[in-house]
Parts: sequence; structure tokens; C-alpha cells
Amino acid sequence: MDSSARGHVCFCTIVPPHILDRLAEAGDAPVREVARRALSLDARHRENRLLAPRTALPPTADGDHPERTVCDTRHSETLPGRVVRREGGSAVHDGSVNRAYDALGATYALYREAYGRRSIDGAGLPLDATVHYGHDYDNAFWNGERMVFGDGDGQIFNDFTVSVDVIGHELTHGVTQYTAGLDYQGQSGALNESVSDVFGSLVKQYALRQTADQADWLIGAGLLAPRVHGVALRSLREPGTAYDDEVLGKDPQPASMDGYVQTTEDNGGVHINSGIPNRAFYLVAAELGGFAWERAGQIWYDTLTGGTLHPDADFAAFAAATAAAARARYGEGRETAAVAKGWAQVGVTG
Amino acid sequence: MRIRVTRTGGLAGIARRAELDTSARTDAPHVHALAREAMASGLRTPTFGVPDGFHYEITVDGRTVHCADPRLSDAQRELISLVLREGA
Repeated sequence: MDSSARGHVCFCTIVPPHILDRLAEAGDAPVREVARRALSLDARHRENRLLAPRTALPPTADGDHPERTVCDTRHSETLPGRVVRREGGSAVHDGSVNRAYDALGATYALYREAYGRRSIDGAGLPLDATVHYGHDYDNAFWNGERMVFGDGDGQIFNDFTVSVDVIGHELTHGVTQYTAGLDYQGQSGALNESVSDVFGSLVKQYALRQTADQADWLIGAGLLAPRVHGVALRSLREPGTAYDDEVLGKDPQPASMDGYVQTTEDNGGVHINSGIPNRAFYLVAAELGGFAWERAGQIWYDTLTGGTLHPDADFAAFAAATAAAARARYGEGRETAAVAKGWAQVGVTG
Repeated sequence: MRIRVTRTGGLAGIARRAELDTSARTDAPHVHALAREAMASGLRTPTFGVPDGFHYEITVDGRTVHCADPRLSDAQRELISLVLREGA
């Protein structure tokens, strides 16, 4: 590491926590110490931010605060692993644990503060995560009960806890499981994936207080190792442009229905065709402007939780449900028009 | 013995394929034993797994079975990891 990077850590509090986490594990003792101090400060600030709106709420029922537990399988694949951090516990000397803990909190905050939802199930479900799953494991998943993160192989993927939107993505699979229950195959599976990308991105936007035009609209920024040619796993704004690499290949996501991919792999291309509804959401959010979680996000949230979607809903059915949700909440105004326009631009008519 | 592993799904949705020919390997007896164990506990049709979980297709000498994270047997896990790491 060069001296300018050290100076950056010392005097600038804008260094992203994941970089601090890296430095806190660095071999260089002074760098490590500075980064650890910065991290504990940062954690305190973030806790204050998370606590502030909560103190305004009546201190009543369970579920008004997250109930987080992070476990460590120490490279085995036997879940859940040993508990390494519980709710309210201070930061530990393991960046993966702290990042997972913070991102669980950020996801909880979006659902609670923007939509009034108490955790994943709406009833205060504890948020459990496991880190260091397997050896060089290149994935993160929701197993129906908890989030599981691999460390990545370091060649293609970094640690899967580095992106807050990835953690929001996984937990949103839990929200979908408890609400619309979209079948994880074909178009309903691509919608399930898209809903996770949408709210995963909104978790990041909400944590950073970014407007639609400030947001990166990426899933997994920072997750690709330095030698990979790419910026992230997916782009909601421009599906198909996230990476183009000789090992990984090119981002295969279509941006509209004319590029819809028919395949039997990956449950019918659920991670590929999700690009279409992803872009529809981005277009609606961009058209409305401001904070995307407020109106565009509210319409998608109402659609997901409204009880009218069938588990095997296709894109057209989902589009129609978002239009109905927009009309129900905002009437025949800008919002409803933006929803119709967004879907039309990606070739889906509800 | 020719062992082919195809991994699909995962958060990234990027497929990986690799094939391993055990004929020139000194550890062939061990790999063959792993392969037989892995095949015996595999399913004939693709399994749902979990959202963002990896799905695996293991083909040994023309016969194919399916399995998915996080419910792999120890033999499946070891075999898959070996083939993806050392196969071509």
C-alpha cells in the first residue's frame, strides 16, 4: 500500500467501510490500528443513524428493532456455525461479520422505515446470517431461514459480504417467500429475482440517501475481483453491461422482451430475464425522480404484498398488478402513467 | 472414468462446466469411489434447491444426476469441488 492511501485512511472519514474492514485485517500494524479506530467510529455513527428514527417510534411490540445474529462456519458447510456477533454486540475483528451485521441492519431499516414492515415476515423475524461458508465459495444464498455468504475465491469474486445490495437481495428473497411467494422458475422466477434486485438496490440507496439519478443501480458493485473486466453482477439501468470478461463471458441480461432468453438452465434463466423487469423499475423510478424507494418502491412493495399476485405470475400479470397498485395509491396521475410507460419501454404490456 | 460437472444458478447466474478424465490420475481409485457415492445420492431430475443456490449436474460415463446447494452429500461436495478445480 502506498503512503497516499494511508493518508486517506487517517484524514478522511469517507472511506467506505468495506475498505476499512480490509485495512483492519492488513498485515501492516499502523494501518490496521487506524482502520480499526475508523471502523469503530463509523459503526457508532451508523448505529446512531439507525437508532434515530427508531427512538421516535413507540417502544412497543417486538420487531421494532432488528434481532440480528451472525454465525461463522469457519469454512465448513455445516450450518449454522458458531455465533460470533449478536444484536447490540460490539464490532469484532472480522470484516465479514461486521459487514453482514450492518447490512442486515440496513435492510431492516429500509423495510421498517420506508414501508412500515417489521422484518422479513412482517412480524419481527430474527435476521440470521452465516459467513465464511465453505472454501473459496463463490456464492451467497437464502436457504429459507438464513443468509449464507461465501468468501469468494479472490480470483473472480471477492467476499460476498462486500455489497450491501447483495445482502438486501438475499433478504428480499425472504420477504417474497412470506408475501407473493413467486415460483422460482420461468417468468415468475425472473420476477422473484428482479424483486430482490430492486429492493437490494433500494437498501443501498436508502442507506446512502441517494436519489434515483445519484444511484449506481448496480447489484454487486465491488464483488468482482480486480482482474475481472466488469463493474458488478447486474445493472438495473442498463442490463447486459455489468461485465464483459474472458473468463466470465459477457453479462447476458436482456433489457427488453425482444431479447428474452429461452433456456432450461438456471430455472429457466431467472438470473438472465430478470433484466427486463429490473429495467422497467429503473425507468419508472427515473421518470418519477427523487428517492426511488418512495413512490416507485412503494408501488412495487404494494404489488408484492397486496395479495393479488399469483405465485406463477408472468411479466404481463406483474405489470398489470403494478399499474393497479399505482392507481390504488396515487390515482390516475403521474405515478400510474410512469408505470405504464416503464413497462411499455421494455416491451411488456399489462 | 470421465466425470463432467455443470454448475448453474447462483447469485451471479453464471454457469461453469468442467470435465475430468481419471485415466492418468494416481488417485483414480479414490475419485472413482467418490463418483459412485455422489451418483448414488443424486436425483434423476433437477431439484429446486434454494433461491440463488447453485444447481449441479454430474455426469459419469454418460449417466447424469442432479443435486443442489445447500443439500449436498460429502461425496458430492468433494467431487464437485475437485472437478471444477482440476478439470478442463
